[in-house]
Amino acid sequence: MNAPIIGPRVAARIALAFLLTVLIVTFLDAQAPAPAPAGRGGQAPAGQGRGRGPQQSPASQKPPQTVTAQTYPAELVQRGQTLFAANCGFCHGRDAMGGETGPDLTRSALVAEDVRGDKIIPLVHTGRVDKGMPPSNLPDADLAAIVAFIHDTKVKAESLEGNRRTVDPSDLQTGNAQAGQQYFNGAGGCAKCHSATGDLAGLATRLQGLQLFQRMLYPGGRGRGGASRATPVATIKLPSGETITGKVAYQDEFNIAITDASGYYRSWPTSTVKATVENPLDAHIAQLAKYTNDDLHNVLAYLQTLK
Amino acid sequence: MTIIMNLRRFAFRCVVAALPVACAALALAQSPQGLDPATLLKPPADSWPTFHGDYSGRRHSRLAQITPDNVHQLTVAWTFQTGSAAGIKSSPILVNGVMYVTMPDNIWAIDARTGRQIWRYTYPANEGFHIGHRGAAIYKDTVFLTTPDAHLVALDVRDGKVKWDVVIADAKKGFWSTNAPLLVRDHLLVGVSGDFDNLPGTLKSIDPETGKTQWIFYSTPPPGTPDSISGGATGGQMWNTGTYDPDLNLVYVGTGNPTPVLNGPARPGDNKWVCSILAIDPDTGKLAWGFQASPHDTHDWDAAEVPVLVDGVFAGAQRKMVIQASRNGYYFVLDRTNGKSLLTKPFAAANWAKGVDEKGSPIPDPAMEPARDGRLVAPNEGGGTNYRSPSFDPRTGLFIVSAQDAYGIYFFKQEHGSYGWAGADYGVYGKGMLRALDYQTGKVKWEHDIGGEGSAGVLTTETGVTFSGDAANSVFALRTSDGATLWHSMIGRVGNSPITYELDGRQYMVVAGGGVLYAWTLPEKIAR
Repeated sequence: MNAPIIGPRVAARIALAFLLTVLIVTFLDAQAPAPAPAGRGGQAPAGQGRGRGPQQSPASQKPPQTVTAQTYPAELVQRGQTLFAANCGFCHGRDAMGGETGPDLTRSALVAEDVRGDKIIPLVHTGRVDKGMPPSNLPDADLAAIVAFIHDTKVKAESLEGNRRTVDPSDLQTGNAQAGQQYFNGAGGCAKCHSATGDLAGLATRLQGLQLFQRMLYPGGRGRGGASRATPVATIKLPSGETITGKVAYQDEFNIAITDASGYYRSWPTSTVKATVENPLDAHIAQLAKYTNDDLHNVLAYLQTLK
Repeated sequence: MTIIMNLRRFAFRCVVAALPVACAALALAQSPQGLDPATLLKPPADSWPTFHGDYSGRRHSRLAQITPDNVHQLTVAWTFQTGSAAGIKSSPILVNGVMYVTMPDNIWAIDARTGRQIWRYTYPANEGFHIGHRGAAIYKDTVFLTTPDAHLVALDVRDGKVKWDVVIADAKKGFWSTNAPLLVRDHLLVGVSGDFDNLPGTLKSIDPETGKTQWIFYSTPPPGTPDSISGGATGGQMWNTGTYDPDLNLVYVGTGNPTPVLNGPARPGDNKWVCSILAIDPDTGKLAWGFQASPHDTHDWDAAEVPVLVDGVFAGAQRKMVIQASRNGYYFVLDRTNGKSLLTKPFAAANWAKGVDEKGSPIPDPAMEPARDGRLVAPNEGGGTNYRSPSFDPRTGLFIVSAQDAYGIYFFKQEHGSYGWAGADYGVYGKGMLRALDYQTGKVKWEHDIGGEGSAGVLTTETGVTFSGDAANSVFALRTSDGATLWHSMIGRVGNSPITYELDGRQYMVVAGGGVLYAWTLPEKIAR
């Protein structure tokens, strides 16, 4: 039985109240506070720290020297700093010294060779899409300011006297070369793959300081005097039984690719082949957990004698 | 005067008139695009109304349409192109069918059914630090965006028009904000970043109606006060989104690293409360208790990672816990009523501690502090984990974390000074692993190689599916019980934490690949 639960008077009251509430809500929304003044302006703080992120630039190496000395007005540099932080800092760090994904520009060879943007500006226009740098359509006046900031920052970075993010070769002379040689040939197991008179002959003339230290610990990192020659090698057994060996060009959980003996790129889903990968750097990785602090510096001291 | 008060008044009339039906009708009529803060206590299935999806930080969904058996059938429902080459790092939020996703200076409102843009707001050009953005927050008819120059902008959910814009911290001093604010009733908790400069760790509670500051909590001494318990340290920024226990009325938040960052001698002692898990009263901003994950940190290992709230058995007794996989490589279980330690155990390579003290904090080995000739330390600066969110699966008791075994070399010499970074460090090598920890013991039940350093967070669902991404551009689904791969798709670098929701009877999983959002669902005929 569908007896009415509300009388017409009550219903009218409900309707009125409902209407009122809707009106009040609408009114309240209309009363939202007006936009506050932004209160922005002024100078971005000087980058007192350094670039963040697990992949850092090789800061110990002496940055490539600017080929053509350039000076810029302070106002332009300051404007460039602001623009840089807003447009480029996402990748290159607020101080142009490297960030979460982009390299340290004060150590860039391109920047060193640039004269008033002749190399930087075209690159910014086209981007480096393969490396994740998007093309930019910033106006030329803004780009000129950014170029000024990058060069100014680079000059400052070149003249830094150890007040930040620098490691001098002289800092790294605490090891004992003789003990390092023993470790190299014995407990460290380095001699299993390396030889002081073979692949490492003259090493210390090619690499010094932090750069040598980093490559000693793990030669597979990017941007430390060139990629390691020690690329992983895969042996791929195809369903047909055929076996192909080549340097690993790509590998993830689902796919593997090699560059074969003829230089061709070949890839397979990992589910369809049997892949065996030999990574010559595995020993370096395993050693990271084994070194004592003395071992590290002793081996480094020994390597520094290989001139 | 608030909408809630109006509602209450009206609800009273309804009750007097004994008309619950009318009340329901009114509730619907109230505000179709808005969010009642009370919703956050029990978010409906068709929403992801706050950064973590709910207050617990578990990133675990009860939705059950996508299962281990059908997950391989996932298909793209829609994509949303931000047009940005930079990747999306933020976690979207979703209220009333509208999704809000952010990047630095930008927020988009998009239709969660189609991926169609409803509106976009771009903050004016500014000199703030554009390092990334974690996400938005919503309160009633207002959606909030933090900015690279440490402002908080309130926008109308309907059209993205600015309602107000307030300064959270002074960008000129070196603050910026990437923070996804946490809403607790009428408190909007907004965090900032800034460890290039020596700045006090600052968390602000903002009135979401007016933008007025309600309270400020400092994790390190505020400007102009003695540095007593911090030992001279500044820093400890609360840049990640906290969690909230409504029964205890406590907000849990992790604090960042100290400044100067690598120069330990400049700030002797434990440096409280940096690198800590803190419990804060959201009404007053007063500290209830603190637990330090890294006393006297000298390696940039903040404890800002998500403090996940777990209710369950620990060592035979029912407990209210907060658990965290911290950047320093240690897993912590605390009693969240009082901050007392229940378990401290490494979950990633860590060689920097001599042991664990009576309070459960690792004891830093002075020999592993940054030095002139370099110290080889695990983890590296990126840490055993980082901002990418973990997930807790109550069904299996597994806490799934995007972990990294990594080594770095750390340098400090007096010439580096005592401002900002004050030192130098370099990553040597790192390997990413998704690790499933038994929450009671911290033991690794399984791990899944992600091929490199991870950037994706984790989502688990009630049916035993774990979503995350690897270091090689794949989003994937694993079986939660053993980590076996069930599905993957190469959508680009997964830089955020997946979310899930149900609309019109279909379960969606949304994740970012590069600068594109992908919404996945089962083919229509299977879902219906």
